Amino acid sequence: MTTMQVLFLFFAAIILGSAIKVVTTKKMIHAAFWLVVALFGIAALYAMLNAGFLAMVQIVVYVGAIAILFIFAVMLTRKELLDKGAALNNNKTIAALISLVFFGGLLLLLTNWSGFTKMAPDLPEGDMVAKLGEALVTPNAYLLPFEVASVLLLAALIGAVYVANEARSE
Amino acid sequence: MNAVPVNYYIILSAILFTIGALGVLIRRNALVIFMSIELMLNAANLALVAFSSANAQLDGQIFVFFIMTVAAAEVAVGLALIVAVFRTKKSIDVDQINVLKG
Amino acid sequence: MNQADFYSLLPIIVLTTWSALLLIVDLFIDDKKKGITAVLAAAGLALTMGLTLSQTGQTVIGFNGMVILDGFSTFVNTLLLFSGLMAISVAYGYIKRRGIERGEYYSLILFSIVGMMLMAQARDLIVVFIALEMLSIPLYVLAAIDNSNAKSEEAGIKYFLLGAFSGGFVVYGVALVFGATGSTAFAEIAASIATGNAETLLVLAGAALILVGFGFKVGAVPFQMWTPDVYEGAPTSVTAFMAAGAKIAGFSALMRVFATAFPDIAVDIAPVLAVIAALTMIVGNVAAIAQKNIKRMLAYSSIAHAGYILMAFAAFANPALRDDAISAGIFYLVAYAITSFGTWAIVISLEKEDGKGLAIEDYAGLGRTKPLMAAAMTIFMLSLTGIPPTLGLIGKLYLFRVVVEAQFMWLALIGILTSLISAYYYLRVIVIMYMKEGEPETVSESWLTFTWGAMAVLTVVLSLIPASLFAWASGALMK
Repeated sequence: MTTMQVLFLFFAAIILGSAIKVVTTKKMIHAAFWLVVALFGIAALYAMLNAGFLAMVQIVVYVGAIAILFIFAVMLTRKELLDKGAALNNNKTIAALISLVFFGGLLLLLTNWSGFTKMAPDLPEGDMVAKLGEALVTPNAYLLPFEVASVLLLAALIGAVYVANEARSE
Repeated sequence: MNAVPVNYYIILSAILFTIGALGVLIRRNALVIFMSIELMLNAANLALVAFSSANAQLDGQIFVFFIMTVAAAEVAVGLALIVAVFRTKKSIDVDQINVLKG
Repeated sequence: MNQADFYSLLPIIVLTTWSALLLIVDLFIDDKKKGITAVLAAAGLALTMGLTLSQTGQTVIGFNGMVILDGFSTFVNTLLLFSGLMAISVAYGYIKRRGIERGEYYSLILFSIVGMMLMAQARDLIVVFIALEMLSIPLYVLAAIDNSNAKSEEAGIKYFLLGAFSGGFVVYGVALVFGATGSTAFAEIAASIATGNAETLLVLAGAALILVGFGFKVGAVPFQMWTPDVYEGAPTSVTAFMAAGAKIAGFSALMRVFATAFPDIAVDIAPVLAVIAALTMIVGNVAAIAQKNIKRMLAYSSIAHAGYILMAFAAFANPALRDDAISAGIFYLVAYAITSFGTWAIVISLEKEDGKGLAIEDYAGLGRTKPLMAAAMTIFMLSLTGIPPTLGLIGKLYLFRVVVEAQFMWLALIGILTSLISAYYYLRVIVIMYMKEGEPETVSESWLTFTWGAMAVLTVVLSLIPASLFAWASGALMK
């Protein structure tokens, strides 16, 4: 086992452990904190996969913005009545069964993948961030999704402000 | 430098996706359901980055970048909705949000 | 960015700019006069529709294959813009009456249509995904727009959780397809599959996950759980828009993905789609029988119609029939859009401020008090069932023909049997309108009257001359 493999197993254990905690823990605020841990673990894996830029974006956007928003939402909605009662709904057995079958199928497929044991080649040399940035603003690459994403953010902004504003004015 | 086969990452992402989907199906709390959905999206992102690395391409990483953008937009709207529902119903338990039943 | 890129998306660019400007202009419009915003939004849609129609018959690939302008996209986009106009027409008086008239309502509809149109033109899974979110996010907010109403908020949150969940499936499916083929562009995916470079199983799994994601979106069984709740809880004008717009966009994306990115897989997966179509028709129609609320009944009816349209995908089993299946599918979407907007306009006419007037029993006596409205409702119910002389029948005939040609006799049989079942609950509405005594109160509002009147005329007239419309639909080919 190389250092990288040890590191991988370490982070994988952290991610899976905290993911299980997110879906099973009874207290919402705990779930939110476990989510943060899982997101950090994934950022570490991005770094191991030579995607340093995405690792940073993961921390800034997911941990810094999304998870914090979750924590805010938990604090806004957590009244004493909320962490009580059953955390799980009534069809948990059947849901667990479906998930298991789904996972088994997925695993079967993935083990049949020929690239299964392939080692990841190192990505081409050069400044990856510059390449990413160029791809995002080149019409022949990803300019269109980039622009549409900006319109999407505008629409989401209007929507979120509308919903939040209405809630306050009540 | 990469001594970890790509399949490790892919299997990890498959497990993570399944955990997320399970969370959506078994939990009653709208916020935790939404967190589980975020786990599913992260699983997909991890798979994309791993595949991208296996194919020595940047395209997968760019897609992840877009998914993160969309996720941020979704979170903004989704959490606003959840908080708004909480204000009227004083609950975000999806089994209790059931004025609508045929 | 060269001219072709720009030209291929010209209508979408114009509409996006228009919606952004509308947001600003709306700030200067007095709260009492939000009708002006509605008119401006409709003008934007009409302008875009003109531009779209002016591009008829052209094929332009833009942004290095990310989007395409072809006969199919022109046809679908025209239908989407028509749906947008109808959505504004039914909302105009209704949201004023319910006290939810805001400028944002119209801007959000426009943004949603931008997403839908982009979806019909997308040729890359990244664009499909972003367009999907672009159309969904405004719809989540629109469903919950009546913040004083717990039902509306519930509809919003359920639609949101369901949409986000299905989005997760789409993304994971795209990830698997990308892993198997090394690309997200339809053309390259198809080429990679055709040359045998791709892992077939992995592509199959990816395609199945994408299908699951869109199954949630169009309300196919077994992903239909919350559709009736969402349709019932959302303000009726929003429901009308969701029923038509989201369905058109979802199906057109599915058609393009399976016809151009996974043509070979579509052949393998067709029997599965046939089973899903059969289940969707059965569940939708059988569940609709028990409904007492008209919105809920129409929600199940919309599930059932999603099943009929899904039948077109069964015909993908025979590649030679693919173009016929696509034209039959989009023709049926036209028939459904026209009929359902007319029906929703009448539902809105009978709906009271406090959400009363939505029970099917409330339609008793309509035949006597409002003979014209009852006649229009009769036409729509006949059209939804598939009884002549209506567009619904013609749509079903084309669909059944292509299904039979594809050797799915059993599926066509289930389609006919479920249509017979559906006759029970559709005709019940007619019976109640004419045979039962009652004093239904209706709102007469000129745009609503225009909508149901015009849709009723279209339903009948187009069914008498279906050939020209069908010729246009068959010319709407994917390039």
